[in-house]
Amino acid sequence: MAYSEKVVDHFNNPRNMGSFKKDEEGVGTGIVGAPECGDVMKLQIKVQDDKIVDAKFKTFGCGSAIASSSLATEWMKGRTIEEAGKIKNTEIVQELNLPPVKIHCSVLAEDAIKAALNDYKKKHGKSE
Amino acid sequence: MDQTHNIPARRTELQMARSMCWHCQSEVTGEYFCERCVKVQPVSKELDYFTCLGLPRLLNIDTEELEARFYKLSRAFHPDFFQNKTEAEQSISLGNSALLNTAYRTLKDPIQRAEYLLGLEAGAAKDIRTTPPADLFEEILALQEDLEEFRALTPGRDPGEVDTLRARLKADYESLQQRQHEMEARLFELFEAWDTLQAREGQDAGVRAKKDTVLKEIRDILSNRTYLRNIVNDLVATLG
Repeated sequence: MAYSEKVVDHFNNPRNMGSFKKDEEGVGTGIVGAPECGDVMKLQIKVQDDKIVDAKFKTFGCGSAIASSSLATEWMKGRTIEEAGKIKNTEIVQELNLPPVKIHCSVLAEDAIKAALNDYKKKHGKSE
Repeated sequence: MDQTHNIPARRTELQMARSMCWHCQSEVTGEYFCERCVKVQPVSKELDYFTCLGLPRLLNIDTEELEARFYKLSRAFHPDFFQNKTEAEQSISLGNSALLNTAYRTLKDPIQRAEYLLGLEAGAAKDIRTTPPADLFEEILALQEDLEEFRALTPGRDPGEVDTLRARLKADYESLQQRQHEMEARLFELFEAWDTLQAREGQDAGVRAKKDTVLKEIRDILSNRTYLRNIVNDLVATLG
């Protein structure tokens, strides 16, 4: 099955690829993996005054996983912590036109968002 | 064609729900061919692969026996033998053959067998979800970053760096391989543990809990194995 145009675009021009220092002020890090395919995804956010001012990702996996995390960072930027927590994998599936066999990639991205937010909250004394 | 010629109407020791022959409505209890009218019976989709092949739900299985049972049933169900039969029988033979092939392929490979068993037992064993191996993720990310760095180097310009990094990655590769072997060895120990517990089923109340512990460890190893395999493949592809 061919990848959708949007997946190819994110794959060829990934947005916000890279990483922050883990212990930097305001940074939250989420590292998750998909046991089915062995993909590993790292997603980081930088928060100022409850707002996500920057986001970065590094994903080692298939095109769909890379596109899902790239899209996730785009969507998270500019949102508040609370708003970012509402991003659902189904929205990623829709936006990227993911086929059923690649839905787990979007789930992985949602898990990574949650993990990064939780890490930020934990570090900054805000329990879930 | 003599219809009993190729299709032995022997009883196969299977625990299927009592049901009726689709053709003559007489009772069939677990045999794949109706005893009265000798018509082939569809293998229930709910039947698990172990039961389908008449094997106990164990992780160490006698592959010769598995093969023998597979051949025996393959012959019984083979669509070629149903060419002159009714459409209903042809379709049952086709469906049964397809199911049988999948069952055999799944049980033949120890890893697939374990994964399949985990799926079967997942309903009974709640909470055997894996704990994300955070340390392993960190390690994989660090290795992937080294690999990226290595790919970015130009051999002509900085030969010293290339050699240093290559040597380091090579060492990492060897230690990962070692770990893969250890994981596999542990996996086979757990296969033994599972089979022993299966034999003790019903004898003491703690068996279920012990089984769940074994299943959880199997699941953890299987998923960690997938992560490791990916990074090892990437290392091989890059280092050559």
